[in-house]
Amino acid sequence: MADNKFAAYICAGCGIGDTLDIAALEKIAQKECKMAAVKSHPFLCNQEGVQIIKNDIANEGVTHLCIAACSRRAKTEAFAFADACVSRANLREGVLWVVAAGAEHDEVRQEMAEDYLRMGCAEVKKMKQPAGNPDKAINRTILVVGGGMTGMTAAIEAAEAGYAVLIVEKSAALGGFARQLWKRVPFAAPYAEAQPTGADELAARVSGHARIKLHLNSTLAETAGAPGRFQVKIAQESGSVTEVVVGAIIQATGFSAYDINKLPQLGGGQANVVDQAGLESLARNAALAGGVIKRADGKEVNRVVFVQCAGQRDASGQHLSYCSGHCCATSIKQATYFKDANPLVDTVVIYQDLRVPGMGEDFYRSAQDKGVVFTKGTVSKVSGGGSCSVTFKDLILDEEATLVADLVVLATGQVPNAGTDMELWNQVSTDADNGDEAAKTRQQELRAASVLKLAYRQGPDMPQFKHGFADSHFICFPYETRRTGIYAAGPTRRPMDLDQAMTDATGAALKAIQAVENAAAGRAAHPRVGDLSYPIVRLEGCTQCKRCTVECPFGAIDEDERRFPQFNEQRCRRCGTCMGACPVRVISFENYSCDTVGMQIKAVNIPDEFEEKPRILILACENDAYPALDMAGLQRLTYSAYVRAIPIRCLGSVNTVWITDALSSGYDGVMMMGCKKGDDYQCHFVKGSEMAYYRLSKIEDTMKQMSLEPERVQSHEIAITDNARVARLIDDYVAQIKEIGLSPMKGFG
Amino acid sequence: MTTNTTAAYQNSFLREVEAHVEEGAWVKMCMQCGVCAGSCPFGPHWEHSPQKIFMMIRAGKREEVLRSDSMWMCTSCYNCLVRCPRKLPITHIMHGLAHYAHRLGLAPKGQPTRESARLFWNNCIKHGRINELKFTLALYFKDGLAQGIKNALAMQGIGLAMLKAKRLNPFAIFGGHQCKDKSGIQKIVAKARELEAKRQEQAA
Amino acid sequence: MTAALEAAECGQQVLLIDKAPTLGGRTAQLYRYFPKMCHPSCGLEINLKRLKGNPKLRVMAMTELVAVTGRRGDYRVTLKVRPRYVNENCTACGKCAEAVSSEIPDPFNYGLSKVKAAYLPHLMAYPQRYVIDASIANTAEGEKAKAACPVGAVDLGMQEETLELTVGAIVWATGWRPYDANKIQPYGYDRYQNVITSVEFERLADPRGPTGGQLLRPSDGKPAKNIAFIQCAGSRDENYLRHCSRICCMATLKQTQYVREAGGDGRSTVYYIDIRAIDRFEDFYQMVQADATVSFVKSKVARIALNEVNGNPILHGVDTEGYHRYATEHDLVVLAVGMEPEITGLLGNGLAAAIVLDSSNFIEGCAGASADAGMFAAGAAASPLDVNRSVQSATAASLKAIQVVHKTVSTEVA
Repeated sequence: MADNKFAAYICAGCGIGDTLDIAALEKIAQKECKMAAVKSHPFLCNQEGVQIIKNDIANEGVTHLCIAACSRRAKTEAFAFADACVSRANLREGVLWVVAAGAEHDEVRQEMAEDYLRMGCAEVKKMKQPAGNPDKAINRTILVVGGGMTGMTAAIEAAEAGYAVLIVEKSAALGGFARQLWKRVPFAAPYAEAQPTGADELAARVSGHARIKLHLNSTLAETAGAPGRFQVKIAQESGSVTEVVVGAIIQATGFSAYDINKLPQLGGGQANVVDQAGLESLARNAALAGGVIKRADGKEVNRVVFVQCAGQRDASGQHLSYCSGHCCATSIKQATYFKDANPLVDTVVIYQDLRVPGMGEDFYRSAQDKGVVFTKGTVSKVSGGGSCSVTFKDLILDEEATLVADLVVLATGQVPNAGTDMELWNQVSTDADNGDEAAKTRQQELRAASVLKLAYRQGPDMPQFKHGFADSHFICFPYETRRTGIYAAGPTRRPMDLDQAMTDATGAALKAIQAVENAAAGRAAHPRVGDLSYPIVRLEGCTQCKRCTVECPFGAIDEDERRFPQFNEQRCRRCGTCMGACPVRVISFENYSCDTVGMQIKAVNIPDEFEEKPRILILACENDAYPALDMAGLQRLTYSAYVRAIPIRCLGSVNTVWITDALSSGYDGVMMMGCKKGDDYQCHFVKGSEMAYYRLSKIEDTMKQMSLEPERVQSHEIAITDNARVARLIDDYVAQIKEIGLSPMKGFG
Repeated sequence: MTTNTTAAYQNSFLREVEAHVEEGAWVKMCMQCGVCAGSCPFGPHWEHSPQKIFMMIRAGKREEVLRSDSMWMCTSCYNCLVRCPRKLPITHIMHGLAHYAHRLGLAPKGQPTRESARLFWNNCIKHGRINELKFTLALYFKDGLAQGIKNALAMQGIGLAMLKAKRLNPFAIFGGHQCKDKSGIQKIVAKARELEAKRQEQAA
Repeated sequence: MTAALEAAECGQQVLLIDKAPTLGGRTAQLYRYFPKMCHPSCGLEINLKRLKGNPKLRVMAMTELVAVTGRRGDYRVTLKVRPRYVNENCTACGKCAEAVSSEIPDPFNYGLSKVKAAYLPHLMAYPQRYVIDASIANTAEGEKAKAACPVGAVDLGMQEETLELTVGAIVWATGWRPYDANKIQPYGYDRYQNVITSVEFERLADPRGPTGGQLLRPSDGKPAKNIAFIQCAGSRDENYLRHCSRICCMATLKQTQYVREAGGDGRSTVYYIDIRAIDRFEDFYQMVQADATVSFVKSKVARIALNEVNGNPILHGVDTEGYHRYATEHDLVVLAVGMEPEITGLLGNGLAAAIVLDSSNFIEGCAGASADAGMFAAGAAASPLDVNRSVQSATAASLKAIQVVHKTVSTEVA
């Protein structure tokens, strides 16, 4: 391999050359930064400028280059050089556009630009071109857990795209909940009539597909490994275990109906009070017998009442607090079972809000047209038996009313079959690790109850979001799970109807395909898609403190038998939380490490205290805070020229050594800017901001020893829209630092 | 607040309305948005708004609906009809309900709209066309002589102005204009009644 | 963007065309999302980063598909590219905007403010390139922009271009447009300044919007304190849109929180038929129900009148829960306008025969036998969907498209 050759390219366009001293910048790059080649160009991103760089790479052996021009977010196509390491010194959005105009600011503006150039050169010197993980994980088979409509759809869609699929289904047949249905709600215009479910046809297609293999009467006994190389043990009901290797996993374990017996006030458990599944069963029996729907006791049904939101939308905390979404349309469908057979059967639906969004409105109209009666009210009591009664507050007519009926259907909710709650698991595990025997037993039970039986240090199932659903936290990214290469789909992810579940399954199949392709190529999965860097550990320096394994938000790191961390790169999302966690700094990425950032911090010229020019380090999340700073520039908002901002992958990747180094080398303050933390966290690496806060609390002691005020390190939640706010925060902080006084550490660094 | 205990939400009345009330089959299509209620210029004078009447029909409140004077308040402005998001012909349903209640003899006695309609009809049938003077006087004196005089005095300004504008002919009191074939008209009406009776018989 | 990215990240060659000069669509115009109250631009940034780093994905802005022939796996498409009058040299330095003085209604702010006729569509516009509005292209103003550009990026000679190419599958992700509130005559959007639409309100709430994030009403610029939200403005109404637009209930619940967060004594009243906060959105609804600044009236508002003295709209209607008549004055009315599928391009270019539409003109799929189907609809062009479900739909559509061009990867079943 050829030697590294470092070069700096300084752009004088967009007014940079009019405002900054380009010659001085060139001199710094040459003399101070010792860059082998330094060139400036009046318009670096145009064809000619880019060609100069390309030529240098091709002909002059340049391997590492610092481009001092606009932000790393701009002109990405022009400045993409596949075969070189590139750093970007942000002279435009970071200096020119944010430092106040006027000659009186010339000095600080130039200093800021010079520092960014120094930082860019320092960074690129520590970067390596990511070579990609040599251990490729190349299995491309997709495992689908659950053979219901979601699972079957995921399987067929993946198979049709050319991928081999395994389905593991715990029952003896495919079809899942849909097989319990007589019909489904319509998915297509005219949205008027209940339709056959299609479950049998789909099951037949799946069973006959050349690329799909079935494991019925089976569950997962263990899932180890990582995307591209999951080692899965499939346990047959009979006890035999099959071991397979798969590339990605789709969890389509569906839902269970909320237990109707928990609703005694609504007649749950009493004769002739059924849930929606119970009504489907009566309807299927009727269809088999070739007659109309009858009660369990064989009596004809002349009057049926549907009670919506039974044990759902419950604010008391006793039952489900959420809405299952599908139940209004399902009751509408079930009411039409009766009306289609005999229009003289009375069907009344008592609802709170009739929730049939989209084209469901047409289905609602169709049922009304058939004579289904809808009324808004809250049901207080249902009694079952030979003659049922439903007491409710009629909200439109503003009165209490009691209805008699032959049959009452309670629209109960969907409870996800998402396995074990990881928060509970973590609690129990902590207790078990501390020797609590009861907790150890409980831990075994929780493992047994889990769906995936992951042999991950972080527990056997996917972390759940809310109400036990294994959903993504992100609106833009519904498939963004916290276990790489494992995707939840269907009602185990979120309450949903069949139509949505099938779309969801198709989407999940695509994500599974991506996961295997990424693993095979050694690339990261979302959101750092395509990133070839991965954590490299110097195990000889590791103290086995376990912080990296505990803090990894994606459960990527296990412990080997010697208790060293074992990185599963294919599970890794490249956020760097492990790197931030490591107290002995043995974890790094080829292009992002304690050194690439640390050397930038060190590269900044710290004026002595008599110059009264504070230096403030900003560590900014590259997805939200750094773009907010950039866009402040784009809006020509100004902020102090005393700050030096470094984009980082995530606040979770911030190693406290950066902060202590900065403070001991004379920085006057540090601002950490990350995403929202807490329950509604916005960090795409889950808990970066939270980790940063936690770690900050740990360095207060160090700061005390250095006799530094705690205010010298600050942490802020910054949203990407906070352009104006971020500028204000900076100026306020600079004022605060001036008040506190400059750091006493200057000159010691 | 009242309590509805007798056979609440049994659909027999809804079916009765569907069978016997003009455009009654639309009642089930209402989704209770209330835009009709808010659009009616006579709204403040109703006991029940159209949307509420539709709900009462579904709830089986036969007596309350048919004895109500609410649908008699409709002036056919069609505001509700044009705004109804479900395109219910509300105006027509209101008239249909009123007519049905009238036929069953359940319509409120002395309800002014109903009384006016009755006088209008009788007046019209008699001469084959409306005698405006007689109709007006009949309306004034429908509640007795004293009230009639009071009504007439209250309206005298308008009456005189109409007289002056030749919009009122005092000699119409002696019969006024009649149509050419009065008995023909009466025969048409009689035949219509016969057909309607037959239809009702069949429907029952 | 999602459909394109997901396919490209599976290794497919993707061409992403957008009629607008920038990617991001209507989502970029939203201030925040329900139910997390997070910022759409956060996801946009991630997607733009994915896109910038993916060599398999090519973006063409200001481009429309005008003709398509052929079949599944082998479509011949004709694209029309409108002139941007700015080439790839543009560095977004903004000198052209400084130079011109003509202004146009800012499409990004639904015309609530003006923007220079040489403009960057918005702060996160991609391609990050200015646009010279066609209205000044051949004027002295255009020449000023050209003269001001230091990098020769302004090219006033640009012409509309047509090009043809072959593709295997097509995903229609043309999105939606807000229903034209002018058509809802009783609400007086065309007559009363203080009756605005939900998408406009979204821009008012955005600190990067026309009012700097202050909820100022249009008639007199005073802070709006007593705000009415009218649900189903156009939706669930056979006179306008027969479907339920799904998103508006949650969008309104979200917007009530803008009012609360604006501080002061802001109050919201929501006039609704049914609150359709399905699945775990119910949590958000319960939170808003508990918010003392928000009240709910089960009523479709019948009509709006105007208080001529103070410019306040007066809402007339009946609360149907027990029949209570109201005539309530508010200082601002927000119409939660429905979603209409944006298929004008499709229909305008005579492509209707290629697709199947449902009763509300959402794209159901490809015309012809399903085995021949190589065109798929995604997102709000297919159904009134929120962002989350649009992404889900787009991801699924992306796989359907991949199936058309797939090569068998692994025939072995483990």
